[in-house]
Amino acid sequence: MDASQLADLSRVLYFPTTVMLYLASAFTYLYALTTTVGRRDEQRRGHRARLIGGALAITGIGTHVAHEIVRGLAQNRLPLGNMFEVTSLMALVGVVVGLVYLQFIRKQPELHGFVMLGGSLVLGMAMLVYADPGPLMPILDTWWRTFHVSLLVGAMGIFTAAFIFMGLYLLRDTAELAVADARVRPGGGSTVGAAHVGDLEVDGATTPGSADGDDELERAQAAEYRAALRAGVPTVKLAVWTFVVTGSVSWVWWFADGWGTAGLGRFLTVNLTMVAAALLARWFVPYLPSTATLDGLAHRTVAFGFVMWTVGTIAGAMWAEVSWGRFWGWDPKETGAFLTWIAYAGYLHARATRGVQGRKAAWIGIGAFVVLMATYLIANYVIVGLHSYAEL
Amino acid sequence: MSVTTDSAPPPVQNPRARRPTRRAPGPLGFIWSSTVMAWRWITRMRTALYLLGIIALQTALATAIPQEPNVPTTVAAWRAGEEGPGVIASQVIDAIGGFDVYGSAAFLALLLLLYLSLTACMVPRVRAWIRLVRHSQPPLVRHLTGQPEQAHLVTDRQPAQVHAQAQQLLQGRRWRLRPHEPDDAATHPVADGGLATRPTPAQVAAEKGLWSREGGSLLFHLSFYVLLIAIVLGQLLTFEGQRGVIEGEPGFHDTAISYWSYNPGRWFSEDDHHGWRLDLDAFEVDWVRDPLAPGAGQPTVFRSEVTVTPRDGEPEAAVIDSNRPLMIDGRRVTQLDWGYAPRVVVEVDGQVVHDGFIQAVVNQRGGFFESAVKSPAADPDIGHRAWFYPFAPPDEDGNPIPTGAPWDDAPLLVLEQWRGDLQLGASQQTVNQLDTEGMESEGPLALRVGQTVEHEGVTVSFPEVRRWVGFQVASRPQLNWLVFGAGLLVAGLIPALYAYRRRLWVVASHDHATGRTLVTVAGRAFQRPEAFEEELRDIAEELADATGGELLPADGIPTTDDPASDDAPRPTPDGDDATTDRRDPDDDDDDLVISDRRSDVLPTPVRSGSSPTR
Ligand code: HEM
Repeated sequence: MDASQLADLSRVLYFPTTVMLYLASAFTYLYALTTTVGRRDEQRRGHRARLIGGALAITGIGTHVAHEIVRGLAQNRLPLGNMFEVTSLMALVGVVVGLVYLQFIRKQPELHGFVMLGGSLVLGMAMLVYADPGPLMPILDTWWRTFHVSLLVGAMGIFTAAFIFMGLYLLRDTAELAVADARVRPGGGSTVGAAHVGDLEVDGATTPGSADGDDELERAQAAEYRAALRAGVPTVKLAVWTFVVTGSVSWVWWFADGWGTAGLGRFLTVNLTMVAAALLARWFVPYLPSTATLDGLAHRTVAFGFVMWTVGTIAGAMWAEVSWGRFWGWDPKETGAFLTWIAYAGYLHARATRGVQGRKAAWIGIGAFVVLMATYLIANYVIVGLHSYAEL
Repeated sequence: MSVTTDSAPPPVQNPRARRPTRRAPGPLGFIWSSTVMAWRWITRMRTALYLLGIIALQTALATAIPQEPNVPTTVAAWRAGEEGPGVIASQVIDAIGGFDVYGSAAFLALLLLLYLSLTACMVPRVRAWIRLVRHSQPPLVRHLTGQPEQAHLVTDRQPAQVHAQAQQLLQGRRWRLRPHEPDDAATHPVADGGLATRPTPAQVAAEKGLWSREGGSLLFHLSFYVLLIAIVLGQLLTFEGQRGVIEGEPGFHDTAISYWSYNPGRWFSEDDHHGWRLDLDAFEVDWVRDPLAPGAGQPTVFRSEVTVTPRDGEPEAAVIDSNRPLMIDGRRVTQLDWGYAPRVVVEVDGQVVHDGFIQAVVNQRGGFFESAVKSPAADPDIGHRAWFYPFAPPDEDGNPIPTGAPWDDAPLLVLEQWRGDLQLGASQQTVNQLDTEGMESEGPLALRVGQTVEHEGVTVSFPEVRRWVGFQVASRPQLNWLVFGAGLLVAGLIPALYAYRRRLWVVASHDHATGRTLVTVAGRAFQRPEAFEEELRDIAEELADATGGELLPADGIPTTDDPASDDAPRPTPDGDDATTDRRDPDDDDDDLVISDRRSDVLPTPVRSGSSPTR
């Protein structure tokens, strides 16, 4: 096969193959999530769905890895050279780490649906910056670069997974607070919620519907509680907030196009996709595990990503010393890496400080992800620094 | 009695913050109390969080606004209003130091505050940690039922044998054990809430991660000092010089005067130069030339072949590649930039007024190289603005078509001739700029390699073109220290995040009803309780294997303990990390544990080893 055939193959492996497999896996997993509170036969179906979701995810990861290998062969270098490749690999790392962590360590595979969904979205965004396979500037092609970039890209993938957990945590927390509020308010809301918080925890030991016949009533109440939880997250507010938070990053595409219509198209596509994803997540709020679990997931992932980011940034400084003769020059990308590091350190501190835990910490974490994405896009699109190699 | 009892008040979270300020009257008193308040403010971790937030904001500013040390020309354009948000906005940015954020007073002040806050936080933490390492030991437990994780087994071995087995097992798993005490010694009566006297059961007490987690965090934070010192000393000791060299032309010596741009640190003296000499023999550069190939136009090689001559030694050939700098006597030589160097000969009235290479630099937008030819030997002065197009092949009519490609397969030199006063030494100008203030243009001329053109009484020839490379020579003695600091940072970060603090007890007691030995393995995880659950079960299973006993199912546990302790405070189930501001590792302990806790943190005169529990 010659290079162009390989290039075609790698493209097909990426889209539609991997993207579709990821999406299918995401939705299968999410279906499995909804069955955790169902009747026994539903739970059985859920179990099957979990297996199918896992199979789809592994197949998707397989085609994704195949895409990376074929692309690497087509251009005879590691696929870590431009924004498309970096974004795609970031999704791959996030999905693999999510799978290993949730399936084998946490043993809550349903939750992986959200990670797969996030992975699909990141893959979709990578398609906005698709580039055909090509050689890398020789000055970039070093062991240093591979080490530095793969660590940072891996950390970005992990931070993406953490962002998803924080978002879900905030959704679930908002819903629970709303339900609790309704119970406290005199005459407001129903009282069914209180008894059922435990039932709905995926990781709880409770298995509602254990005796199919006699607890129709209980299940009706559980359904009511689920509806109350969902209603606890205001749709419009969620949509607006998602739009605002996404917009705080995606304006870069619009700006890079000189505020043109193509840029506006990208801006709106990305924002509305994220709004749709948020609304979808809202629908799944009743099936989410407890806030403590989600918060813990977010914290563990951030901690892992933070270590990788730290080592990756240090490696970058070492490479800069070798390649450019200075280890740190406050180049926009270096500044961005530092800023991201500070932001996530802020999150870890917030988690460690009593009184800033929970929602506040999650918001700091979301802010850190916004910083990560914004500096990544800005440094690539807006500012031409050393890292963009406009000249030697 | 050095043991803490249930009735003792819980440890004060942050005694310093609650102590009222004693305020002396008068202005001194005011200064004193403000100082105390400021100190309290700076020692709060939340303050550090705010400071980090402000540094983040400043850094964001530095990402959005061009920084003078990086891109001085862009900053100049912003100030002149040619680019960016306009002159007035630029003045505002200047006023807040926005063009040089990392050199601004605000940034330095903030850094100082951050280090002050860091120091204020570190001093008590380091002291507490040292005390922890030197004096603390795993505490004894009285009420096992109060512990969140438990497993039970029965065996026919004697309790003392089980304890010995458990100690061996835990040691193998790298737990830190409370020094062994004979079983009978541990059954001393202890005051229970001041109401009753109950024995502490004989037990094995162990813990894990208490030193390493906090120690890692301390190492991580302390590495900032190493980094800071390395950076500050680096500023003083470093040296950085730049110099352009043309292929085949004489190079330069490592002496202060031969660098074009010279930035020594304050403590770097001119005597510290080594005096070696560097010449550029050839510079190789190439690109992906096929416009249809992937990555078209991208460079593929940047390589300088050089000759280095030590002050008193033989010349030696060496190569400097884009990712492989050359080390000469501890100085690192890197290629910074490159360009074409056309040789231009200018003659007036048969007199050569200029013969030399000009170092043309690439235009910001790419595609061509710019420079200037200055001939002050002519009278009046003659100057040429020069544009070098490396690849300008002729069309059918022989007219050159500049393509913007950087390879010099069809070089074309375009000159614009000026006559008048070059104002050398009278005005600010670089070698590549012509100050045309006092000159008049005499129109353009174009030359191919080897051509000579007569223009307005001036003969200009372009015999050859070479390349030049801008080298940077740097001495950075701080690098090793920076690497060391970074190593400490990572070495501290990993245990700070991944060492989990756990406590574990094994209590074996004779069960009179069955005549067997009942063993309880109980524990508590301060982080990641769900992972600990498994670990504890593993340990219990292993212990059961080792003692020929069997594990009891999780429910149906015989409770031999005080049932009242069941409503003891449990650790917060939420979150992996229930840690506190003050990092007293024992703060989260419920008071069911008989511990040396107070003495861990606040040594009391009694804790001289006279504890009856030892
Ligand atoms: C400047 C003043 C600083 C102070 C006073 C400070 C204080 C602290 C304290 C008290 C903790 C322990 C929290 C706990 O687990 O209980 C901590 C943890 C941590 N700090 Fe800092 N810190 C400072 C600066 C920084 C900076 C600049 C960074 C990195 C950008 C950083 C990164 C971290 C990280 C990653 C942890 C988490 C370790 C863990 O979870 O145990 N700190 N810091």
